[in-house]
Amino acid sequence: MIEFEGVAKVYDGQREALSNVNFRLAPGEMAFLTGHSGAGKSTLLRLILGFETASSGVVRVAGTDLSTLSGEKLARYRRRVGVVFQDPNLEDDLSIYDNVALPLRISGFSESEIPKRVNAALSRVDLSNQAKARPRVLSGGQQQRVGIARAIVHRPALLVADEPTGNLDPELSARVMRMFTQFQQLGVTILVATHERAVVESLPFRRLVIEKGSLISDGMGSNR
Amino acid sequence: MNRWLSDHTQAVSDAWKRTSDRFTQFIVLVCLLGILLAIPGWLAQIWIGMASLVPEDAVRSEAIVFLKQDLDVEARIDLERSLSEMPSADEIVFVPRSAALEQLSSQDGLEPIADLKTNNPLPDALRLKFTIQGVQADENQIIENLTSDQRVLSLRYYPSTRIQYASLVEMLGLLGIGLFALTIIGVLMAVFLVAAADVVDDRRRIELYTLLGASRRFIRRPYLYRATILGVLAGLIACLVITLLNEVLSSLLAINLKALDARFANFPVDGRILIGVALIAVLASWVGAERAVSRRLKALN
Repeated sequence: MIEFEGVAKVYDGQREALSNVNFRLAPGEMAFLTGHSGAGKSTLLRLILGFETASSGVVRVAGTDLSTLSGEKLARYRRRVGVVFQDPNLEDDLSIYDNVALPLRISGFSESEIPKRVNAALSRVDLSNQAKARPRVLSGGQQQRVGIARAIVHRPALLVADEPTGNLDPELSARVMRMFTQFQQLGVTILVATHERAVVESLPFRRLVIEKGSLISDGMGSNR
Repeated sequence: MNRWLSDHTQAVSDAWKRTSDRFTQFIVLVCLLGILLAIPGWLAQIWIGMASLVPEDAVRSEAIVFLKQDLDVEARIDLERSLSEMPSADEIVFVPRSAALEQLSSQDGLEPIADLKTNNPLPDALRLKFTIQGVQADENQIIENLTSDQRVLSLRYYPSTRIQYASLVEMLGLLGIGLFALTIIGVLMAVFLVAAADVVDDRRRIELYTLLGASRRFIRRPYLYRATILGVLAGLIACLVITLLNEVLSSLLAINLKALDARFANFPVDGRILIGVALIAVLASWVGAERAVSRRLKALN
């Protein structure tokens, strides 16, 4: 699903954010991307999301070289990817229902299809009863679950999460991770960037460790 | 078609939701922009109103063209025709030599001398009244052309008040146009910046939509609708302010000027000004939002 071949990213011709990164994530696989702040995790995710292009090397997602995409093609690619942020980035002007429906409206789903999908996504994160509420009345954990519902509502083949448990307590973090595990079992490819060792060590998934822009370790984690 | 319709309906509802959430702020902004937009519109209205107060005689010049003694009727009619074809000619009247003597004597403050009456040295003449909208040089050119005409013996030229004070009129005109242009630029920038600021406030939202795979058109639409609503409402407020101010000024002028001329009883608001103000408001607002979203999207990609 995701292939990095000798990828490097240099900003302003001097600052090297990534250097010769090579890895491959198979369809339906889940992996953690770990490393300290400033190690290059965010740059790697931005490359996957098409917000940056590699200075050298190739980034492929589902066989497509992302450097060949721009404009409408890039937008169409992004519609097939689910994204979860540390800050759920919800729209205060919209209800929870409308926030979750956003990717469907962007993708042009019919108005008859949207309610089915939104309700299914909200029930998956146990928030069906909050559909009409505004984000500001929800707790941090609930908001993060809305963010997850929004990321999976259009059933993406790839889910990318950037520090999804950064603002949550350990109990909520574990709950969010259980949700990711369920999605992975449904065949979704998941890449979770996090610097929380406890989260990574609690699950038996592959770990990509990045330091100073280089991939220094790529191996399986242990079961709890 | 369905997709197009649903996308636009969604954008309008999105624009409205965002407006209704900050309704008081939006209304204050609309009123402020409306008042700002009314300033150049009101200046233009005063300008046009004042122009209608200027009496015709102040802008109309006159020349008495003395014809050569031996000019026959045919040649005179030919000259009259060629003069009447001038776009600036308002009136051409044939003045027989006896009438010319009386008119010139009375203009010079003299009674025609009895000897001159019996032995009138003046030839027949044509009284030409003309209005030039251009500069003084254009009027001088007409006089030169007349003087150099073979059929013309000489002429007396009475320039209009506007021509007599041409340099002052020209300077005041340029000053007025300069001030008007500055006001327009200032107002345009204000509307442009307000529409652009609305987008800058929403930087996070634009990034989110981009991340979710929204096309540029999809992202732009709600901002453009919101900018259009802002422009239309600000334009309407401006038109209302101009009309009200004009009503007040008209009634004040009417009290003082009605006695002079019935035309001064009221000054209707010029429709072109209202349309111009409304168009400026919508265009500036639209362009401001469009440029700001484009810049943000460009920076993102």
